[in-house]
Amino acid sequence: MSRGVSLQEGQLLARSLNVSKSTHLVVASLAAAVAANAAAAIQLTGFAGQIALLALIFVTVAAGTSAISSDIFARSGQTIANLRSIGASSRSLSNAVFFSVIGYGVAGSALGGGVGAALGMALGGQGGAFSALFAVFGVILASSAAAAAGVYAGGRRNWSS
Amino acid sequence: MEQLGVLQRNDASTQGKYSVEVKHVSKSYGETEIYTDLHFQLLKGTFVALVGPIGSGKTTMLNMFAGLEKPTSGTILVMGKDITKMSEDSLGEFRAGTIGLVPQVQTLIPELTVRENVELPLHFAKVDDKSRERKVDYVLEKVGIRGESKRVASTLSVGEKQMVSFARAMVNDPPILLLDEPTESLDPLIAEVILGLLRGDNLTLGRTIFVTTHDRRVTELARKTLRVKKKIP
Repeated sequence: MSRGVSLQEGQLLARSLNVSKSTHLVVASLAAAVAANAAAAIQLTGFAGQIALLALIFVTVAAGTSAISSDIFARSGQTIANLRSIGASSRSLSNAVFFSVIGYGVAGSALGGGVGAALGMALGGQGGAFSALFAVFGVILASSAAAAAGVYAGGRRNWSS
Repeated sequence: MEQLGVLQRNDASTQGKYSVEVKHVSKSYGETEIYTDLHFQLLKGTFVALVGPIGSGKTTMLNMFAGLEKPTSGTILVMGKDITKMSEDSLGEFRAGTIGLVPQVQTLIPELTVRENVELPLHFAKVDDKSRERKVDYVLEKVGIRGESKRVASTLSVGEKQMVSFARAMVNDPPILLLDEPTESLDPLIAEVILGLLRGDNLTLGRTIFVTTHDRRVTELARKTLRVKKKIP
């Protein structure tokens, strides 16, 4: 038995929980803003600074997505109770929220990371194209992991037994 | 405190015959005791009605069977599994495959269509696409609402919603069906449809059915009727 969430199930649950276009936009904007700044700064600092920046991305995006997830679960209390009564688990609902927003988070990160990488090079980043590429991949990876952690933490916090 | 009654005495030789086993269950909300030391079993395939005054804890018992509320003490075995010890996530998966619930309050998702509402439990039970489609078509046909499958739930009447709830409860072929006042507030025509489904065609036959009700027509269908006499103060 699979423990994942199918695309159709995710879409149904996301609609049930009223995960709206506004939510997608907030996630994409947050990810883009953080990624742009980090991808630029990452090229202007040494290894320790880069690690610190990636950690900062992780914490910031995780906190943001946790708050978004928490908000979705909190305002859908009755819907969640209804879904529980027919077999939903906190995992299935968190999966649905995660998969409904992750695409927008990655897109925002990629866009912001690209802009930030170009900005970093323009500002005198020393590593060249390789460093810029590292910056983009680094921020996408960190923000995706952070989004996952945030969504699940937010969902778990609001799951009432 | 009310002792609801004993359907079958504990007997090691009858292990596996029960769909629900209630063992020394007590339930209270704060200082208010609802049940004290309940001990009984429901045989597989039996139809039991629970009657009693409003506010006497009938829904609480139904919710405990569904694992939606935990007893204060004691254990409840459903199909041999102790649901009082399950984690929330395990309980969700177990419920999806084992229990069909028709609650008193409408719990359809208003934004989804009839078909989407009915297929939700199959997603939670990880039923594959092909089987899901077949099961949904079958149950919508049997309940008589296939023509409404594309309607959004928020546009349905109370009676139509109840029929969709019934279809949703039955769609994954659960061995246990729990119904909370299934004919309450329904117009006579829709109530008759629900009664017809409970009467036992091949949709409900062989399942354990536990129903709370005030409706004599429902109790007349039941093989056993339990009574809660006292209203909780």
